[in-house]
Amino acid sequence: MSEINLARQATLQQRLEPRVLRVLSWAFTGFLVLYILIPVLITLVMSFNNAAMIRFPITDWSVRWYADFFGSTQWMDALINSIVIALGTTAISTTAGILAAWAFERYQIPFRTFWYMLIMMPLFMPGVVLGLGVAIAFGGVQLGSYSFYGSRELVMIAHSLWAMPLVFMLMEATFRTVDYRVVEASYDLGGRPIGSFFEIVVPMVSTGIISSALFAFVISLNEFVMALFLTDRDTQTLPVLMWLSLRSAGTPRLAVASVILALTVFVCMSVIMLWYARQLRKVAR
Amino acid sequence: MAMDSGLALEVDRVRRCYGAVVAVDNVSLTVRRGEFVTLLGPSGSGKTTTLRLIGGFEEIQSGSIRINGERIDQQPPYNRDTATIFQSGALFPHKTVAENVAYGLRMRKVPKHEIDERVAKVLETVRLRGFEDRYPGQLSGGQKQRVALARSLVVRPAVLLFDEPLSALDLSLRLQLRAEIKRLHDELGFSAIYVTHDQSEAMAMSSRVAVMNRGRIEQIDKPERVFHDPANEFVYNFIGESCCMPLRVTSGITADKQGRAVDIRLGKGLADGDWRVYVRPNRVKIGGSAANSPNTLKAELHFVEFLGDVFRYHLRAGALEIFADHPGRIAKGLGDEVEIGWGSEDMKVFQ
Amino acid sequence: MTLAQTDSSISEATDVPVRASRKPVVPWFLIAPALVIVLVFFGLPTLQMARMSFNLHVDQRLYVPGFTFEHYRTLFTNPLFSKAIWTTVQLALVASFFSVAIGYTFAILAWLKPARWRLLFVGLALCPLLISEIAIIFGWWMFFPKNGLLSQALLSAGLITDKFSLMYTEFAAFVGLVYVTLPYAFFILLSVLDGIDEQILESSADLGAPPLVTFREVLFPLTRTGLLVAFSQSFIWAMGTYATPSALGPDTLWTMGFLIQEQMLGKHNWPLASAFSMLLVIGVAAAMLLTRSLMSKRSAFHV
Repeated sequence: MSEINLARQATLQQRLEPRVLRVLSWAFTGFLVLYILIPVLITLVMSFNNAAMIRFPITDWSVRWYADFFGSTQWMDALINSIVIALGTTAISTTAGILAAWAFERYQIPFRTFWYMLIMMPLFMPGVVLGLGVAIAFGGVQLGSYSFYGSRELVMIAHSLWAMPLVFMLMEATFRTVDYRVVEASYDLGGRPIGSFFEIVVPMVSTGIISSALFAFVISLNEFVMALFLTDRDTQTLPVLMWLSLRSAGTPRLAVASVILALTVFVCMSVIMLWYARQLRKVAR
Repeated sequence: MAMDSGLALEVDRVRRCYGAVVAVDNVSLTVRRGEFVTLLGPSGSGKTTTLRLIGGFEEIQSGSIRINGERIDQQPPYNRDTATIFQSGALFPHKTVAENVAYGLRMRKVPKHEIDERVAKVLETVRLRGFEDRYPGQLSGGQKQRVALARSLVVRPAVLLFDEPLSALDLSLRLQLRAEIKRLHDELGFSAIYVTHDQSEAMAMSSRVAVMNRGRIEQIDKPERVFHDPANEFVYNFIGESCCMPLRVTSGITADKQGRAVDIRLGKGLADGDWRVYVRPNRVKIGGSAANSPNTLKAELHFVEFLGDVFRYHLRAGALEIFADHPGRIAKGLGDEVEIGWGSEDMKVFQ
Repeated sequence: MTLAQTDSSISEATDVPVRASRKPVVPWFLIAPALVIVLVFFGLPTLQMARMSFNLHVDQRLYVPGFTFEHYRTLFTNPLFSKAIWTTVQLALVASFFSVAIGYTFAILAWLKPARWRLLFVGLALCPLLISEIAIIFGWWMFFPKNGLLSQALLSAGLITDKFSLMYTEFAAFVGLVYVTLPYAFFILLSVLDGIDEQILESSADLGAPPLVTFREVLFPLTRTGLLVAFSQSFIWAMGTYATPSALGPDTLWTMGFLIQEQMLGKHNWPLASAFSMLLVIGVAAAMLLTRSLMSKRSAFHV
């Protein structure tokens, strides 16, 4: 085949291909938007259904299931449990994760890779395995009258098995972006390590800290397999209650619970976005 | 414990290795009070590591470091009376200019009203009045370095440590700040160690220059002495531009390394053996008067570069490649033979 | 998000020599809380689980101390369990394949589009990540059945005449599973693509290659390892996710996770549940190590 022929063929291909690809990419985008939004929107719509049955088409709209949710002590208790456990998980995993990440970034640690893998390992373990393990190991353990099993604290720690490695990983990446000379400058001017950490390092990585804390919170709030293994009737979280009631019968109350769960995440994110925007404005004033 | 010797800093036989690499090898150096000493060397010569050892960011493995006669080499940075001006400035990005400058004073528990006073004064000195409430992100590169300078000056350390503070700036700014640091030194009389790879910076500012290579100090002396009286081949080569002619002399005949005879006439004859003859290209005369110089070389004109203020003539003689700078054009074409010459004081010979 | 970033974090920053610590105990103090969590609440339970898997199970008691390989034998000989293992692996493989395929296309689009679009795409991909799995299950649970949205929508559009149900089918399980693993594949691949200079596409086009050829010759080879990493991550997640397939799939779709829960909470057979879990732990650890070795090869190639 001569070079001219080749060139002509290429131009034809070059003219046709982009158009076909553009059409395909739009079609794909449409498919994806539908795929991701279907379960979200369907839940939102269903939560305003007046009927007691999940069935389409919806003929009667009301907020009665919201009233029902907020009126039910069982569901409200579950929501409160979820939030308390998520806050505890956030506190535990951010503290442990940030400290470990700082150590990994700034100090020489013998067998670094080994410790790194060890800390990261639980993040990749299925929830069912972690839940089962913690249940077997701490199911029967009691400290005086305090029993680990069924306590919120145990769930917090179990959730931290996912949340802490995630915080650790995100913070390690964040610390790596810090110009360490700035910290040295602080030492140099007489700042002590602990004081410098809080006054210099933490403000420089505040965005990373806030976003990893948010991830920890969301993971714990949404998790229900470990919680299923580790909670009893009094400490049941909202997702566990939803899972159990889905197994018996689905009602629009479940849709309301889904919406509330998602709203909690959404509100947290908005608060953080606002805070972040204010920080930005402050520095760029 | 020590009598006041007038020395702000004494570094004595300090050594630091990283694995098998010796970064700083038995370095000794002193800084008198008010003296401005420059560590000059190529990258990897150990000058920055030396500075970091003094600042306390790296630990020494042997030797000792004293500040004002007191041994401090086992102290962490925050207990050492030094202040570093980093290459990047290393300003605290979330603090304003005034907060940055006040930081060291706050850490030293200086009373509030005194802090305000001293911050205002030092910002005046570095000509940054009116920038107090800006954040580092809103400053230019030059302004950032002034803040860094102010932040270090304000704590009045025994020794100021400069870690290539100007190397990230563009040329005109560099010259401007260089002059300013010089002025501040004359005004305030601080003691300083200044690390740089830029020889003109070193020459312009220093009381003394220490030329470093491979973790050692090759020569430490006044700038003029280092320039005119280099201790060894490395120093000569590193300071100022030079070109090298490797020569072999056998039974009185001078040839290049491949044994081809070279038409070179040196005022002071060379004994048999291998030599490296260096000349400063800007001191080499070309054409007309060149033949009358005590040292001459006949070479072929290879190509010409126009450098702005001078032409640079690249010449070949056998395997020798040298160049000579001359302000005007010469009446020779490429490939023609040219004669160049230079004074004996512009030449150095090493065996 | 996942393993993709752990690789570079191991390599130390070279520009600033890591400061030799004056007090070598300091880093251990800092790591201690994390290590306590991992060792006490993951290491110890895993060891106990390993021990538990050899205990006896008699007379409906949770477990009886002893030593037997019986449970492991059961896993592979009882057709019910061995089929569950096979089902889990198969489901995870197919689901990861699709989530990588969709995630890859999605990531390339997000990478090529201008910043505004990119933000939208990232927001979209965050949805499955930020919403609880249980809420997602419930969403699909309302979509697939006879009276669900899908059937209703098609009916009112006149495309079908009879209501139909896709609920409790393998297809539904599958749609749910891909939904859950998709964001992982997407974010890993996006981060890989972000490491590529977009100008190489332009220079390839400039040299006369049409888009598909550019993809085949340039983009695909550069992202091949990233694809493998994304695949293995999706696979790990899909293996461990059991709620989605068990809630959306047919009753006969038994996955390992489901059987662990069943044995633990339903049948109260702790040793068997433990044996199952150990199998999952080993599988996940193996997949992790495989991914790591793939990535170290990649970084060697880049250096």
